[in-house]
Amino acid sequence: MDETASYPPIEPSNFDLIVVGTGLPEAILASAASAAGKSVLHLDPNPSYGSHYASLPLQEFTSYIESHSSQSSSILTIPQSDMDSGFTRVPLTTQPLYSSVEITSYSSEPLAQSRKFNIDLSGPRVLLCADAMIDLILKSEVNQYMEFKSIDGSFISDGEGNLESVPDSRSAIFKDRKLSFTEKNQLMRFFKLVQGHLEAATAADGGESSESKSISEQDLESPFVEFLSKMGLSAKLKSIVLYAIAMAEYDQENADVCRSVLKTKDGIDRLALYHSSVGRFPNAPGAMIYPIYGQGELPQAFCRRAAVKGCIYVLRMPVNSLLMDKASGSYKGVCLASEQELFCHKLILAPSFVVQSPLPYSSPDAHDFGSRNTTEKLARSICISKHSLKLDVANCLAFFPPRSLFPEQVTAIHVLQLSSNVAVCPSGMFLTYLSAICEDDVQGKNLLHTAIDVLFHVPVSGSPGNNNFVEDQSETGDAKPAVLWSVFYTQELAKFQDVRDNIIRTPMPDGSPYYHDLLVATEKIFRELYSGEEFFPKSTSSEEGAAQELED
Amino acid sequence: MPSRRRTLLKVIILGDSGVGKTSLMNQYVNKKFSNQYKATIGADFLTKEVQFEDRLFTLQIWDTAGQERFQSLGVAFYRGADCCVLVYDVNSMKSFENLNNWREEFLIQASPSDPENFPFVVLGNKVDVDGGNSRVVSEKKARAWCASKGNIPYFETSAKEGTNVEEAFQCIAKNALKSGEEEEIYLPDTIDVAASSQQRTGGCEC
Repeated sequence: MDETASYPPIEPSNFDLIVVGTGLPEAILASAASAAGKSVLHLDPNPSYGSHYASLPLQEFTSYIESHSSQSSSILTIPQSDMDSGFTRVPLTTQPLYSSVEITSYSSEPLAQSRKFNIDLSGPRVLLCADAMIDLILKSEVNQYMEFKSIDGSFISDGEGNLESVPDSRSAIFKDRKLSFTEKNQLMRFFKLVQGHLEAATAADGGESSESKSISEQDLESPFVEFLSKMGLSAKLKSIVLYAIAMAEYDQENADVCRSVLKTKDGIDRLALYHSSVGRFPNAPGAMIYPIYGQGELPQAFCRRAAVKGCIYVLRMPVNSLLMDKASGSYKGVCLASEQELFCHKLILAPSFVVQSPLPYSSPDAHDFGSRNTTEKLARSICISKHSLKLDVANCLAFFPPRSLFPEQVTAIHVLQLSSNVAVCPSGMFLTYLSAICEDDVQGKNLLHTAIDVLFHVPVSGSPGNNNFVEDQSETGDAKPAVLWSVFYTQELAKFQDVRDNIIRTPMPDGSPYYHDLLVATEKIFRELYSGEEFFPKSTSSEEGAAQELED
Repeated sequence: MPSRRRTLLKVIILGDSGVGKTSLMNQYVNKKFSNQYKATIGADFLTKEVQFEDRLFTLQIWDTAGQERFQSLGVAFYRGADCCVLVYDVNSMKSFENLNNWREEFLIQASPSDPENFPFVVLGNKVDVDGGNSRVVSEKKARAWCASKGNIPYFETSAKEGTNVEEAFQCIAKNALKSGEEEEIYLPDTIDVAASSQQRTGGCEC
């Protein structure tokens, strides 16, 4: 496990910024700071990139989840340096992000091809074509290191185990076979109204007088669900718009359980983003794309970009302690597992690290700096199967709206199925990710297990000797794919900490199926760190960069 | 239209820091050399058009971007390579001994479908230094190692003087092309995010 490499000493020993952890927010920040000309050192105790945003082979995935779950929490005792360096070494420990890990293997087939899998630790997640994340990928030029494929479709569960297409565009509404004529009309009118509102808003920004088509200020501030009712949408259409297009997480129709009410103006923004995503790229018919080889390509691409701009990379290098100035009490650097001390002006830590603050005189909550201030958790599950959830569909999203599985279901369940054509599993297999926000592990497990039972055939016992059920299933013509391997775990959902002293915390993988909120949080950190700098200035082409370097 | 990937060949250059990876690339593509060594900053990848039997290919040569210094190249760097170039400095025994580690690292990370026949090319660089007097790895020794690893083509080069650089890359391109053609697990229908967004950015400046 502990494979701290014997590297030569890192030079120089002073940096503008040291970043610990190579998750997506850390990778973007290292890349942005390097692009702004800062000297950056990027460290990760793991042998691969991505931290909690990585995509890993099956075996590595299993050991990562297990070593970062609550059973394996370890407390380090740090020897203080004998020399009086003027610094106190404050232990840096890791806090497990995962709990209730449950891995079941019904067949030996997936593990036998472990390296053909690239399993996302924080799935399900896709890129919305018009999202700011795509703009950043282009602006930072990391697109040259990545390739993407289209998500073929989006489905919503009707509550009886059927997955129906989400009518997310005019042509989809037109082609839909499940909606009644009245519903098609309602939805078409509603999309038109939203478009009219957006056009009026754009016109108003441009100085022209806004038209009567626009939605009133009062409506914009009201809950989106009320507005949808007011527009006369049927229960089914409301559910589609709220949970499959606007991605509301909590039951919007039950104020007692809804922890976050989606306002009309936010709902309309999400709808607009979705609509402008459809057809943004000529050969991506849907609103979403996914990186070939998995989500973990994103942090790697941003890290390479950072390296090209001068950032120094050291994997397999744990940080054992932070160096606290004895006089001022502020943090000045890190002490590595190799005993080397390195200094920096700013320090960024991934959310799993905990500073064992020794300061008795600091603010009351200093002792649990990095501790959770939310009771929400995120239940995640992944199933490997040999058949698709939907005939002739390789990659798709699906949703279980609140109350679609059972009356007490408070949150929506997001589902993403991926096939071997995005190089995340061996050919002939499928990976399905599920996630839902929950109060606790028990509730989360109940939610996802119920959804899995609806979507899959789960063998009664995971007896390793019985490998025949797959064949049995295809012969009986059972429509449900059989699960070959599955994992369940819950992930902490801490809100990211504010800048304290000169240590900055990056955000935890969130429950959204998109990157939008993560990127907003990450960009905010950058602006607080380097207020005068541009977040990824437009650069000259990389080839010129390489050539210029030699001419200097 | 035929697939985009088929005409694009990915070549990666591996080897210890300071053996001349960036210089070799630059000599081949830009016919330039700088005597001043800097650990690589700013080098990403270079592209060069190559022609084979009236078909035009783009050779995309990836530099390590300095991430090899602490053995921190990610799996994404290795993936999809059509040819792997292993470089050592004939004046440094350690850089030669490490070729084995780099080769193994590549085979683990890239996990090519046919590791036995994956094309590597070995370059012994800096043959010009001190008129060859400071050389510690003999050509015989290097060729013996290459032979033992399935007859890897071997070239002795000087990025500084341009010796053998063109010849070496001809061989690299030829091997990359051969492996690219055999590799049938290639993935069609990728989304070109850069091409189509260009038209858009005009309208919406965010």
